[in-house]
Amino acid sequence: MPMENILEDEHFQLLAFLLTSARGCIDEPPIYGPLRLIDAADKLISIIVKKYGRQLTELQEIRRKIEKARNLVLTNEEEFTKTLDELVRSLSKIIKKA
Amino acid sequence: MDLASIIKGRRSIRDFQDKEIPEEHLLAILEAGIWAPSGSNIQPWEFVLVNDSILIKKIKLLSPGLYGMPKILIILCMNKKRSGRAGRQGLSLAIIDISMAAQNMMLMAYSLGIGSCPIASFNKSGLKELLDIPEEVDPVLMISLGYPSSWPHPPERRPLEEVVHVNAYGKHLRR
Repeated sequence: MPMENILEDEHFQLLAFLLTSARGCIDEPPIYGPLRLIDAADKLISIIVKKYGRQLTELQEIRRKIEKARNLVLTNEEEFTKTLDELVRSLSKIIKKA
Repeated sequence: MDLASIIKGRRSIRDFQDKEIPEEHLLAILEAGIWAPSGSNIQPWEFVLVNDSILIKKIKLLSPGLYGMPKILIILCMNKKRSGRAGRQGLSLAIIDISMAAQNMMLMAYSLGIGSCPIASFNKSGLKELLDIPEEVDPVLMISLGYPSSWPHPPERRPLEEVVHVNAYGKHLRR
């Protein structure tokens, strides 16, 4: 891929997000760490869904829960944590079923 | 719209419509910024206006806290040569001054039906490189602007009775 097109590459976009988040997390509120990780997970789901098409309904379910968690992170840390637990349970179901 | 409604109605917007902001509204927002108070009237701010969508995409790559695709970004920067005139307090005063300019801008935006979000989660050195910001100027805060896809519900506020102390700390306001 020519370097001038790299900005359109979703892997590169994820790379930029991870590196800038790593630096940001040193100075930012600790709760931003999990927020950045679920945002990165969301970006990763976009990449997976594009690669394999729309049949990955379980991943879309995870994405909905990520959106729910994102809306809770700054307003209700307890519910945010519960939603992260739900996310991991959904992930475990996928792993178990595979 | 009265001032109280504007103050209480403003929300942080993280999802924007694909709709241009009229230039006169953008200038009104920027002008609201320069009318903020500043310590010793130093006006330590510089505003970098970004209206190029390709550049906004590049800034997004350096800004984990920037959600959605806004039409405009305003990078509020501190001019350290100017802030230095305020002595040892210069840097902290400049942050306060720039924050007040930012609030003016966001309230003006809301009064014009435009959504905004203040963003501090961006990589400052990366942004300086990308936007050719000189050594003596530091980005402090970014404001994204655009027409919102929706207006979120307001998060809860700590009540006045908890926040306000009357005449001595710990003597809470009673109503």
